[in-house]
Amino acid sequence: MIQVVNLTKMYNGKKAVDSVTFTLKEGEVFGLLGPNGAGKTTLIRMLTALTKPDSGTCTVGGFDVRQNSAELKKIMGVMPQENNLDRELTAYENLLIYGMLHRVDDLYGRIHEALDIVGLLERKDSFVSHFSGGMQRRLLLARSLMTSPMALFLDEPSIGLDPQIRHQMWDIIRKARMEGRTVMITTHYIEEAEALCNRVAILSKGKLIALDSPGNLKAKVGEYVVEYVDGEGHLVQHICQSRSEAQNVSAWCENSVTIRKSNLEDVFIKLTGERLE
Amino acid sequence: MNKALEWYPIYLREMLLFRRKLFKLGYLFSAMIAPIIYLIAFGLGLGRNVRFQGSDYLTFLIPGLVAMSSMSNSYTWIATAFNLNRLYFKTFQVFVQAPISPSSIMIGEVLAGMVKGLFASVLIIIVGFLVPSGFSITPLFVLILLLNCFLFANLGVITGMLAKSHEDTATYSNFFIVPMAFFSGTFFPVDKIPNFIKPIIYILPLTHTNIVIRKAVLDTEGLISFSILIIYSIAFFIYGSRLIKNYSE
Repeated sequence: MIQVVNLTKMYNGKKAVDSVTFTLKEGEVFGLLGPNGAGKTTLIRMLTALTKPDSGTCTVGGFDVRQNSAELKKIMGVMPQENNLDRELTAYENLLIYGMLHRVDDLYGRIHEALDIVGLLERKDSFVSHFSGGMQRRLLLARSLMTSPMALFLDEPSIGLDPQIRHQMWDIIRKARMEGRTVMITTHYIEEAEALCNRVAILSKGKLIALDSPGNLKAKVGEYVVEYVDGEGHLVQHICQSRSEAQNVSAWCENSVTIRKSNLEDVFIKLTGERLE
Repeated sequence: MNKALEWYPIYLREMLLFRRKLFKLGYLFSAMIAPIIYLIAFGLGLGRNVRFQGSDYLTFLIPGLVAMSSMSNSYTWIATAFNLNRLYFKTFQVFVQAPISPSSIMIGEVLAGMVKGLFASVLIIIVGFLVPSGFSITPLFVLILLLNCFLFANLGVITGMLAKSHEDTATYSNFFIVPMAFFSGTFFPVDKIPNFIKPIIYILPLTHTNIVIRKAVLDTEGLISFSILIIYSIAFFIYGSRLIKNYSE
């Protein structure tokens, strides 16, 4: 469904995305994980025809981003990281303009349905400027779903959302996957990537440094983590391949020790030496 | 929706925003204030005893003020809105990521700019009929007014696309729009301008609007100016569409 080959983008002589290559199957939920500035948003912008790549190719649904961008735009839905709603228009008007631009059939029915999915139907005539940040994120998601896209690009979909709304948003994304849509999500929330993604790509400084299912990535670097606080108050972590290895490591620690299962953040730290925040 | 009407959602969006602004008193005043001040200061005050081209000064001045007002409103609203939508509110992304052609974006924005320019012009025309003068409207006047709005709305899109910050938009305006308002025949005929500046003045599109808008029929001079306005309009439209086509964040 999505093919990316040696995609590169430079800003002011620095590589924001550096020769990234991967493939997504139809119906897959694919996570792009990395800290701020890793190149996640630039990558999504190139795939959605907002940013022109310097080199490499990318196709979505068989349409080349550079040569067939009009065809590509018909099959994609985008939820950007930055709020690009019209604040001086109502929720309904925002979806109306978007639906007309994308020539959505049964437009009024689709607007009604999209607002209902994200729980904003009763606020359809409210101005977006009167919405909370979370409501604006939900409206952006509704807008991206309005065209029933084959490929859905969600850039930090749950940023700034409270846990309850975040879980509602995850349910909507799971439903999109069940409907056969291909979903690409950028996130720096570990639990989001683990809850939703079939596969995860880890980006660091524009480079793709790992790509696999969350389970395989954790298995590769070690499934257990030993944590303790050293004499200077620093949190020390050791990633271990097995529980017995973790118990051996914990045996020679003086302070209180915790043994827990590893997560994608541990994978990220192990591979890059950085934290995700 | 018909492919030929791809521009309509862009236009509709601008009109929805414009309709809301219309009900704010400040908008009405801001569209009218500068031309009305010029009309009172130059027309009713300074120009009381001045005659140009065989008629009283107000008859000369009012078409110029209509041309100036249509220029500044068509241009400023589109340049500012386009620039803000692109750099700050990011709403321009929605257009770029929609399956419509760059020229459709251009048409939608330019038509919206024309409506704003015409709205301001109508206000000046009403005032023009209220003050004692020989001001009248001909079909040629209406045609040139529409063409002037189209031309400067196109220029507004170009500025909105090229400006790297909101301050840049004001800089472009100060360098091109403000001098054009004063030296292109709005307040006095361009033949009164020193010869060494004339080549520059005749490059400016508003000069040609001011030449044709005061004519009752299209003579040779008018036809040349009209052709220049058409060429500018087409060139600006093509350049603006190319800027949108090559847009990349």
